Amino acid sequence: MALRPDEQIEVVETKAPRAPVIEPGHTFATVTDKISSIVLTRPTSNGWLVGFGFSFLLTMVLLYAISYLFIRGVGIWGVNIPVGWGFAIVNFVWWIGIGHAGTLISAILLLLRQSWRNSINRFAEAMTLFAVACAGMFPVLHLGRPWLAYWLFPYPNTMNYWPQFRSPLVWDVFAVSTYATTSLLFWFVGLIPDLATLRDRSHNRALQMIYGILAMGWRGSARHWSRYETAYLLLAGLATPLVLSVHTVVSFDFAIGIVPGWHTTIFPPYFVAGAIYSGFAMVLMLAIPIRKFYGLEDFITERHLQNSAKVMLATGLIVAYGYGIEAFMGWYGGNRSDAFLLWNRLHGPYRAVYFSLLACNIFIPQVLWIRKLRSNPAWLFVISGVILVGMWLERFVIVVVSLQRDFLNSSWGMYYPTRWDWMTYIGTIGFFLACMFLFVRILPMISIFEMRQLLPQAEVKPE
Amino acid sequence: MSSPGVVNLDLSAPPIVRLMERRSLIIGVIFAVIAIVGAFLRTDEFFHAYLLGFMLWLGVALGSMAILMIRHLTGGGWGVVIRRLQGAAMRTLPLLALLFVPIPFGRRFLYIWARPLDSIPDAHLRQHLAEITRSYLSVQGFIIRAVIYFAIWIGLSFFLSKWSAQHDQPPMRDTSARAKALSGPGLVLYAFTISFAAIDWVMSIDPSWISTIYGLIILIGEVLSAMCFAVVIERILVDYKPMSELLKPDFVHDHGKWMLTFLMLWAYFSFSQWLIIWAGNLPEEITWYIRRLYGGWGSIGLMLVVFHFVVPFVLLLSRPFKRNIRKLVWLATGLMIMRFVDLFWIIEPNFSPTIRVTWLDIVVPVAMGGLWLAYFFHNLASMPLLPAFDPYVREVWEPTHSEAGA
Repeated sequence: MALRPDEQIEVVETKAPRAPVIEPGHTFATVTDKISSIVLTRPTSNGWLVGFGFSFLLTMVLLYAISYLFIRGVGIWGVNIPVGWGFAIVNFVWWIGIGHAGTLISAILLLLRQSWRNSINRFAEAMTLFAVACAGMFPVLHLGRPWLAYWLFPYPNTMNYWPQFRSPLVWDVFAVSTYATTSLLFWFVGLIPDLATLRDRSHNRALQMIYGILAMGWRGSARHWSRYETAYLLLAGLATPLVLSVHTVVSFDFAIGIVPGWHTTIFPPYFVAGAIYSGFAMVLMLAIPIRKFYGLEDFITERHLQNSAKVMLATGLIVAYGYGIEAFMGWYGGNRSDAFLLWNRLHGPYRAVYFSLLACNIFIPQVLWIRKLRSNPAWLFVISGVILVGMWLERFVIVVVSLQRDFLNSSWGMYYPTRWDWMTYIGTIGFFLACMFLFVRILPMISIFEMRQLLPQAEVKPE
Repeated sequence: MSSPGVVNLDLSAPPIVRLMERRSLIIGVIFAVIAIVGAFLRTDEFFHAYLLGFMLWLGVALGSMAILMIRHLTGGGWGVVIRRLQGAAMRTLPLLALLFVPIPFGRRFLYIWARPLDSIPDAHLRQHLAEITRSYLSVQGFIIRAVIYFAIWIGLSFFLSKWSAQHDQPPMRDTSARAKALSGPGLVLYAFTISFAAIDWVMSIDPSWISTIYGLIILIGEVLSAMCFAVVIERILVDYKPMSELLKPDFVHDHGKWMLTFLMLWAYFSFSQWLIIWAGNLPEEITWYIRRLYGGWGSIGLMLVVFHFVVPFVLLLSRPFKRNIRKLVWLATGLMIMRFVDLFWIIEPNFSPTIRVTWLDIVVPVAMGGLWLAYFFHNLASMPLLPAFDPYVREVWEPTHSEAGA
């Protein structure tokens, strides 16, 4: 058997060509025009105003709920003994999980040289930042005395007070604040060349000043680019472990305790997979309308939808593995509390939540095996929504159903969220969306210079 | 730019493969004879060592299959260049199924649940076993499940090999869609079957202990050992044509990166399990670690931390190290040995509260390895080292452009 020159070999079957990451016919100029015009020349549409207005309204609901919370205290929420961790922690985990997709796309896919990420990394990173901001609110609000939140940091003080470093809740403070800082830096550094483009293309003096200040004197010289690439790669290297570590630490918040349903060793990888799962669902829920309303189908192509759907399918299966193993061990292990937890999930007062979560996270997303559905934006949008609901329900089951019936029957209880819980939760969704609306209006939502790198013209010819 | 040097390259395995086959067989047979003598002299120690050897070599075969399926899904020249090595490892699964047969016969030496319940002094454990042996850990269920696992593994391996073999003959066909359609579900099946196999065959030695991440720790260990094994074999082959023309530093670099990834995942899973169980400190869980940290076993645990993680991790961070097959092979060999040590640390403390290494712990895994390697080299020699009529073979001999726009 020998390897022969391929021109002698007849190729009888070739696979269908993959959808491109950028539609043909674009040049450096059209890419720059198209993306920067959304910010600079396109008039503010009515749709944007309505969307932003509505999100802003919800943000005001959040403000109202928080203000009342500060006046009255956490008693206005549904939390009590035994369920001391209610919506606040459910929402915290949900939001921080959503953020993970942005970091995965921007850092890990960059290191893996997955160039398709170039069209979605910018707004995915923005999504990360806003999601982390929403997430960060909850534990602080949950403190009871949020104005003393800085006590969580180890700082020299006269109270002879020091955080308990054996508590994963303290690890969380460091994990999340590191994550927020790195994500912000990464996002901002990525924006600098594009901010310079906006500075150079805007005709309005004030805009030139603002974008000019933000661009930090970027001139696009070869030396700038060389240093920029190094800095960007270093930041990607720093951000990569965070994809794993942040949600791992979040999972320790639960797993370090001995509550049945919390204390299980699969939690770290299972939380990370769940985080990426919900994160990609949110990316799709944002990308699909954005590409539609701003006519960006050339840049966010079917390929991006396909790939995101595949990531969701894979991470969803890891989550399903987690459920399966957890349920099996509950039965196999012979620990009565674990077995009861399983029973309580299936037959207890919150069984509807558990079955909905199985449907949303495991059964319905299996339709993503079908290629046609993976490339259909409308279907993907719906399935992503289902997954986001499912992942929220999962955190509800973990937090609430585990706590409501623990070892002692005498301490069992129910958890009912109050309207303040709901208002805070929905308010953060409004805050998140309002931030996204502002972002797409005032900053380039797709990385202009990285899109230009995807063009065939940008390919370096071998010598 | 195409490299004309590899055109008309003979792709069949070099004679060294047949030589290695003979050598492995000789070692395997000699050690097998000693092992059989040992089986009569010290039957319980024999079976403990047997399970250890079986899990080690099964891991290489299954891990190879998993990496093969990962490559079908992701593509990449790094995988094309070793796919026939991994295919040969995967096709040893029928031998491993055969090697599994003694385990149910030796069950009483391995599994407390397979012994008469009256012989168990601990009342609590007896009660648990009374329940679980009825529903799950029955001898019958143990055998039926093993048959199912092997049927799935051999089935996957059969189709992957068959389709790969079609690429040895013209015409050139792109069958990647079919391979992908099998590999996606195949990896899911692998994850589930190996987890349950790990529970059945290893975790159930201590039937009162559970850890939900256990299956993943075994899984990642298998994949790690398979990648190290591929590096060792490619090192042997790289001195001869055709591998000398095919194996580029870029591919070796990628193999090193995979080793680093799997190594970090192994450490991540193992550390998570340790931290969660240590912090919980529950009597039904922490006993697993107490057994493995006291009575001298702790020194092996420490050895794992240093040589199964810290040292290889630091070495693998270096780019020149990863790109040099002549250096990387030493680490790969060391990690294969550490895979043995890790499985030893997982399995053997179940049987002895104080550290005990018997001569059978070495002889039986070596015997099994000799036979397994002989079969592996036999498989490797039976097919060309590269499927010449797979369009993806181009990834191996074309230069790696910057894949802009791809």
